[in-house]
Amino acid sequence: METIAVFLCKCFGEIDTAVDFDFLTGELSNDPSVAVISTIDSLCLESGMAKIVSLIKETGSDRVLIAACSPLAKGGFVADSIAEAGIERHKIGLVDIREGCAWIHGDDPGGASRKARDLIHMGIASLQNGEMSDDMTVTVHPGALILGAGPAGLAAAVSLAETGFEVALLERSKDPGGMLRLISRCYPGDENASEKLDPYIKEIEKNPLITFYPQAKIMSMEGDTGDFTATFSSQGKDISIRSGVIIVATGAKIFFPAGLYGYGELKNVITQMELERQILNGSLETKNTVFIQCVGARDTKRPYCSTICCPISLKNASRIAGDVPGGSVFVLHRGIMTPGNTLEKYYRDTLSGGVQFIRFEEDNPPQIGGGDHVEYVEVFDAINGIKRTIEADLVVLSTPLVPNTDNVNLAKMLGVDVDSYGFFSEIYPMHPLETKTDGIFICGSARWPVSSDDAILQGKGAAIKAVSYLRQSEIAASTLSRVPGSKSGHARVVAESCTGCGNCVAACPFNACGLERMNSGFVSTVNMMRCKGCGNCVSVCPNGSIQIPEHNYRMVGEMIHMAFQGWEL
Amino acid sequence: MDASERDYESKKEIVLVIGGGVAGIGAALDLAGAGQTVHLVEESDHLGGQVSKLDKLYPTDHCAFCPLWTDIKRCMEHPLITVHTLSCVKELNKETAGSYSALLLHAPRYIDEKKCTFCGRCEQECAESAIHPGWEHLCPPSFVIDETLCTKCGNCARICPSGAIDLERAVEEIRLSVGDVIWATGFKEADISHLGEYGSGSHPDIMTSMEFEEWISEAGSNRGAVITRSNGTPPAHIAFIQCAGARDLRMIPSCSAVCCMHALKQAFWVKRRNRKIDCYIFYTDLRTVGRDYYRYSLREFEGADIKLVRGRPGLIHPLPDGNGIAVQFENTMTREREIRRFDMVVLNGNIQPSLIQHRPAHPAGTAAPRTDEEGFVVEESGNTSDCACGFGLQPADVPESVIQASAAAMRITGKRSNPG
Repeated sequence: METIAVFLCKCFGEIDTAVDFDFLTGELSNDPSVAVISTIDSLCLESGMAKIVSLIKETGSDRVLIAACSPLAKGGFVADSIAEAGIERHKIGLVDIREGCAWIHGDDPGGASRKARDLIHMGIASLQNGEMSDDMTVTVHPGALILGAGPAGLAAAVSLAETGFEVALLERSKDPGGMLRLISRCYPGDENASEKLDPYIKEIEKNPLITFYPQAKIMSMEGDTGDFTATFSSQGKDISIRSGVIIVATGAKIFFPAGLYGYGELKNVITQMELERQILNGSLETKNTVFIQCVGARDTKRPYCSTICCPISLKNASRIAGDVPGGSVFVLHRGIMTPGNTLEKYYRDTLSGGVQFIRFEEDNPPQIGGGDHVEYVEVFDAINGIKRTIEADLVVLSTPLVPNTDNVNLAKMLGVDVDSYGFFSEIYPMHPLETKTDGIFICGSARWPVSSDDAILQGKGAAIKAVSYLRQSEIAASTLSRVPGSKSGHARVVAESCTGCGNCVAACPFNACGLERMNSGFVSTVNMMRCKGCGNCVSVCPNGSIQIPEHNYRMVGEMIHMAFQGWEL
Repeated sequence: MDASERDYESKKEIVLVIGGGVAGIGAALDLAGAGQTVHLVEESDHLGGQVSKLDKLYPTDHCAFCPLWTDIKRCMEHPLITVHTLSCVKELNKETAGSYSALLLHAPRYIDEKKCTFCGRCEQECAESAIHPGWEHLCPPSFVIDETLCTKCGNCARICPSGAIDLERAVEEIRLSVGDVIWATGFKEADISHLGEYGSGSHPDIMTSMEFEEWISEAGSNRGAVITRSNGTPPAHIAFIQCAGARDLRMIPSCSAVCCMHALKQAFWVKRRNRKIDCYIFYTDLRTVGRDYYRYSLREFEGADIKLVRGRPGLIHPLPDGNGIAVQFENTMTREREIRRFDMVVLNGNIQPSLIQHRPAHPAGTAAPRTDEEGFVVEESGNTSDCACGFGLQPADVPESVIQASAAAMRITGKRSNPG
């Protein structure tokens, strides 16, 4: 029979002044499962710890209950130290009799003692009935799959190859470069976009570790952290690739402002991307230019700021103001969004560079005037309180980035989330490049609209996250937790009683539960690489067929029973 | 080839991460995850930096402490990360390219956190009130001695049951040979009392936003109650002044990037704790560029009844009877001028990189990277062994700081895998 060693800590008088230790030892000595009860002055000091370890070895107890301070004070540290002496961590129980009993009930010593007794009994019940989850390991496939070869994907690919890992780089179009191929220069550094891309593109061409798959279309995605398998077509061929991690860098697309500000009807009302094209191929002809910000953004349909449109307008407005003598350049805006030092300076420089800014309010947007082409723009200047009419030969609409329409499908395939707008969701705030599925990372505008500089930064960031997975030869499911040592276990299914109702599948936020067809019907299965041990499935299971062994029904029931033992209900 | 035998494994040179805020923690964890040996230097007694002083985070309204605490714990427990708290970098000399010799100073930690049982007898015993609990979220918790108040009488050491206190401890010097450096020195609040119109320091209820955060924090001194500092009653009107000292060529030309959302968050939490309090936010441009930030701002003025006034007050001055603060402003959207009485004024935006004027973050430290005139670190192109991330590089909130940290970690790891 398994026996339990109980250690009571006096904490230099902090506990035994309120809690009666004689009463506790008396109550516990009647319990047949308790092999030894020992009272120690302070468990957390080295002398105390040494005494515990030697007593455990002497008595041959295989489970240990420590009644001392809160696990967040020294309790956790004591448990960890005993675990180092060779007792499995899940066979060590902690009961808080200092903060939870002696300190808070110091005015009622009898009550404090009884509470301590009940808590210790509950701790014993928990130790007796606790089980341990199964674990599994996955052999890591030391290569990465990167979806999208825009600046983010390229930076991630080159960085990963630099650290010696193989990369499969998938791109939906024919050439790498993404949206950066369509623009002339980048803000705020004013580098030539193609010059910025060139070193990356050269690297993916010459680095043998990187394989580029143009015109790729993903068909299916299987596997888990450490070993995913993606099936896709590239240039008409079907290809299947295994990878340890996946980096999503699929970017975003530009909102097309059909019907807004006469776009599509009036000549010379163009989008920012069309302006970029005209600058690139040298066909830009304008004298008086008006930029309109937040076209289709920060409204009820797209209630977000797309981050990059203000700086892009600054870039193009100051360029036109410099290049076109004698013309005027206006930016009509709802607040210029240039946070930080570099962008704010960019704004100041643009202000002094001859570009004029007029602020309008959301409910009173500018009006475009003209016949078949734009002649003037009327705007209510909210700051000066006057209506102004601006001559315009060219109106440039600043439209936001919107998520790719296939994000939802891709997210479903990968088992990650998209947010309410359709961009990929992150782990906020400390893990912005990670998703809820370990080993799948997001970067660039697939995550949230970003500039090319930030996309490259995020690509590199996603790469270092990937390295930490790829350099492990195998990954155990029990280690997949952001809080060290906190993963309380994985859900376990009792196949005999599972009715296959699917409640757990619907309740699992991590896509860990699934249904498998058996002879007798459907049975729930748990993917341990995805299960985080949250217990949502346990709470919706109608007959207790899915449980977390570390917190199983019998254990919790016994603990509740012990808590109310002797109570008249 | 076994993954653990990859090339960079053999390069055991230390990466020195200076600053233990979210950026430093992120960089250290990413570097260690990639197999690099990291020494993380933090001047205060715990990791977490400025974020550890925040009650809530925008736009989730979740506590700042949980996500931060888990990563602090990962840092403390990681075998490849050595954490130096209460420390500064005294010297950092470049020997050759990619090789520094660093001298760290460890201020004495008079109370050994490993031995302290947090019983609190020393705090009660100290006649000078020099002993106080450390960061409330630290696990295990421990007491700290304020050296400026301590008279070294030794009473605390005598009463400590676990022998955790040793007042004889001295400053410790540690020499390290360092391969690469990441500056993650973060921000500090700037004194704007010389900008007279903000009335900084003229009334106890004119606070900076970090002071106000602590003031209304659930873990802070008022346990989440919103009261005035002058008489301890709930204020009727609170003014949040944006860009106080920032976007101002006299002081900080930059936009501090985090303050708009920070003020919205604080105003919202004031409203949540006490709906009767009237909140005004005086802004220039409400910069809400991140995920869900704009929607967060919409919620503020639709549901929570927070008044947004575009304009920078021209004068903030205590009323002669001491009962309240006058704020004179022009609403630039309606062009109306007004003087309004407020009970509290929160100054927002006056945050600067800690390395301003090339002064290192810690008074005893002397090592400093190259900075621009505003104090932001200038990363030299081509020099990959000297990186920066977080607010010390450019104004950034938590996610941006962590992304920069990851990118800096990648730069160093990448370079180390490919020498030459």
